[in-house]
Amino acid sequence: MKLIDLAALDHQEKSTADIINSVCEELGFDYASYATMNPVKGDVQGYANYPDEWKIHYGSHGYHHFDPTIYQSVLSIAPVDWSRFNHDEKFNAVFRDAHDFGITPRGLTVPVRGPYGECGILSVTRDCSDHEWENLKKRVMGDLQMAAVQAHDTVMQSGVLAKALYLPALSTREKEILQWVAEGKSQQDIGDILSISHRTVEVHMRSGREKLGALTTPQAIGRAIGLGLIAPG
Amino acid sequence: MIIVIDGINQHKFKDVLDEMFKLRARVFGDRLGWEVNIVDGRERDMFDDLNPAHVVSINDEGDVVGCMRLLQTTGPHMLADVFHSILDGEPPLRSSQVWEATRFCVDTKKLGRGRGKNSVSYVTSEVMIGSFEYAKTAGVLDSIAVIDPVMNRVLQRSGNAPYDYLGNAKPMGKVVAMAAMMDCSDERITGIRDYAGIEHDVFLTEEQALELFAHSKTLPPANVDHQPLTELEKYFVEQMHSARTQEEVDAILKLIEALSDRFTPEQKTALLSTPRAFAHEA
Repeated sequence: MKLIDLAALDHQEKSTADIINSVCEELGFDYASYATMNPVKGDVQGYANYPDEWKIHYGSHGYHHFDPTIYQSVLSIAPVDWSRFNHDEKFNAVFRDAHDFGITPRGLTVPVRGPYGECGILSVTRDCSDHEWENLKKRVMGDLQMAAVQAHDTVMQSGVLAKALYLPALSTREKEILQWVAEGKSQQDIGDILSISHRTVEVHMRSGREKLGALTTPQAIGRAIGLGLIAPG
Repeated sequence: MIIVIDGINQHKFKDVLDEMFKLRARVFGDRLGWEVNIVDGRERDMFDDLNPAHVVSINDEGDVVGCMRLLQTTGPHMLADVFHSILDGEPPLRSSQVWEATRFCVDTKKLGRGRGKNSVSYVTSEVMIGSFEYAKTAGVLDSIAVIDPVMNRVLQRSGNAPYDYLGNAKPMGKVVAMAAMMDCSDERITGIRDYAGIEHDVFLTEEQALELFAHSKTLPPANVDHQPLTELEKYFVEQMHSARTQEEVDAILKLIEALSDRFTPEQKTALLSTPRAFAHEA
């Protein structure tokens, strides 16, 4: 089983790196990493912005073979605070040395499950007080969820074949709502037009954005038009 | 009280999960007549093998009295793979901030009517509070729940009405299944808490949950003296068994108290402390 640094591969992975870096910059984390297990070869593929020394130490000690932040977190549907591994010998084995590299054992992992049952994980760390950590979690958990699925989809769609298979399946409602947005209608307007609550409009928009791999609604509209899913307004 | 059992801690809660699968078999198989797969009196399906999160309610006597199963909509889930007929052929939602809730049930045999702690209404609210708070902490904003019209009415009556429905309700065995949407917001959680009068933290720690569950296994059998039940004892057992509200239960307890000169102290203690175990013997 190999540990593959996706940054060393082609240009596509730059966007995974971008996502990881922006998670740190915009959400206030020290380090972030994304990893997924290749279901066929069992390799761990990933990208991390940890210091190189730590990455080398981690890889050369084979921590990716048993790091519970990888293997345990994929068993959860909710983000896993690493405090849950406090009494885990394997966790302590990995993070015993981390301090020497300026890495804190205070972190959490957001698991993502893909449509084919594949899993990915986004991990973040921050060296701070308990109080700060709890507040940070409350503030950014939603954003972390979105970043995790974005990083996952970026990696999953990096192959030509995967790209071809991964045409977003938008529901009629999602297309309809994106079409109305393209016509310049607000969320409230659309709710009124379709006789549904604005909350429902929002849920469909969010789902549509994620299926299209878009960060913002304008970006989703652009992609949906580009794919011929909706017409220009 | 609530314990969330997921892929990480499930090895500690095998017995609790076993009770939960039995409860699901009684509710979905026996009572509701859903087309579910029951083996050895336990209802399980393929989604239980995908490490879902189970939100489980354990009552003060240590019994599993309610549960709900949560899955991410980014991965395999029931609306995508099983209940798609509800969606009229449309692709399902896919969002990291929407979870799917399925197999929501409470034990209507052990729980009574009314609003007391051992009522269907209370445990329904407790499971809902547990699920929404767990989801909210995970950064999840909405949940989509596959429920039947009976549960739908329960939700509407308990300060927890769905704000919308996806697709159209479809027959599933003897009942109809529908996909209800609920926000995991403070407003909704407050609404349910106000209705149910639940102010405390509903979550048990893993240790507390195990202790509480173990408690149910160590309850003394009701009929400790191993004498056949007297007519009077039988009468109380039957009364207790058919009691549906806390008021009725209280009335029976009062009567037992009033007639306490007719029992040995052991009989009285047994009658007062373990009506549930007693009912089992009747």
